[in-house]
Amino acid sequence: MKILWESMPYLLRGMWITIKLALVSEVCILVLGLLIALVRISKIRVFRFLAAVYIDVIRGIPLILQIVIIYFGLVHLGLNLDRFTSGVLALTICYAAYEAEIFRSGIESINKGQMEAARSLGMGYMKSMRFVILPQAIRRVIPPLSNEFIALLKDTALVSVIALAEAFQRSRELMGTLANLTPLVGVAICYLLLTIPLMRLVQYIEKRMARGD
Amino acid sequence: MTEEPMIRTVKLVKKFGHHEVLKGIDFEVQPSEVVVVVGPSGSGKSTLLRCINGLEHATGGHVYVEGVDITDHDTDINQVRQKLGMVFQDFNLFPHLTALGNVTLAPVRVKKVNEEDADRRGIELLDKVGLKEKADSYPAHLSGGQQQRVAIARAFAMDPDVMLFDEVTSALDPELVKEVLDTMKDLVREGMTMIVVTHEMGFAKEVGDRLVFMDEGEIVEEGEPAEVFTNPRNPRTREFFSKILTHM
Repeated sequence: MKILWESMPYLLRGMWITIKLALVSEVCILVLGLLIALVRISKIRVFRFLAAVYIDVIRGIPLILQIVIIYFGLVHLGLNLDRFTSGVLALTICYAAYEAEIFRSGIESINKGQMEAARSLGMGYMKSMRFVILPQAIRRVIPPLSNEFIALLKDTALVSVIALAEAFQRSRELMGTLANLTPLVGVAICYLLLTIPLMRLVQYIEKRMARGD
Repeated sequence: MTEEPMIRTVKLVKKFGHHEVLKGIDFEVQPSEVVVVVGPSGSGKSTLLRCINGLEHATGGHVYVEGVDITDHDTDINQVRQKLGMVFQDFNLFPHLTALGNVTLAPVRVKKVNEEDADRRGIELLDKVGLKEKADSYPAHLSGGQQQRVAIARAFAMDPDVMLFDEVTSALDPELVKEVLDTMKDLVREGMTMIVVTHEMGFAKEVGDRLVFMDEGEIVEEGEPAEVFTNPRNPRTREFFSKILTHM
């Protein structure tokens, strides 16, 4: 108990890095994911193909491997990004592939008549997307995207492989120096304090939307 | 022929795969004319309408809107579509916008009308279709007939030269059909050019300047509505009317 208490400040600072990592990545992921989704459904076949390849390749490789490849690969190329940026980059590249598929399914779930109605009013494809399709599609994919965010929050722990001092990495350091498992339990509790309320929130949103639709 | 017709199709062909839905349609609509297109389902009448505003790409032939060939790749289809107001069978209102939002979206985003003016005009149009008090309602809270009237106002908000109606009463409960037809009659009275694909024969007879009967991708017969109804020349037309009239 004492160890738990004493290691907490150090772990909490790590947790703060974890949260920052997750939030910064999430913003990048949403932007990139949406872009990839739009390319994935574009009318130009080559673009569609490239997006599909990206999505398949990324989803077919373990995240932890991508993190290592990106970090050391960039170093090898002479691009010396700090660990936090590398972490954000790796998480973004990976999660954007998953979220692109979620965005795509959301866009494709919108009735074809919506696009036709928008186009028939003289709105171009991009305008129709922006003002008619996306507002509806994004609303629909909020629950699955929220679940992805929870997964992301947990997956930030993988960034410890490049020794970024986020929560999990710190707990392992402490475990090593103190020869005690308690810090790991401490960090697990920290994750739960974040993920359980988030999971409840997603359930709440899902229920409300089920009633609304 | 001195005046350029509003709409003209020349040998318009549309194929879906190997299936030829339109088999070389020659069709014209003059300014202020109300043309009613009838025919059995699958006859290609909706496809004809959709080819006119480019929602379907013609496989062959030409479609001219006020003299502009929309099958030409250099034609800015968005420009042409502003002249063509389309109303759909299943309304296709934008569910995330209020009735007023539906009506003002295109004027604001395409014509760059400022929002105040667009709102004022939008309220006017909703008033015209009898739904001023529903301006802030979302489509989900409107009846089918009300939704369709909002859709008419929405199409009309772009100040089109021609209105295209694609079986706009087919998805409505019978008691809601009249309010939509009445709204359309108001437009006729204003001299709007209209192409109306419908099964409403009473409406065709009452307001149609010309009746076009289509079957299997061809225009089989056309003429003055009362004349075609009472005295169809083609056996296919006769058969079609005898079938519906027994249902009436």
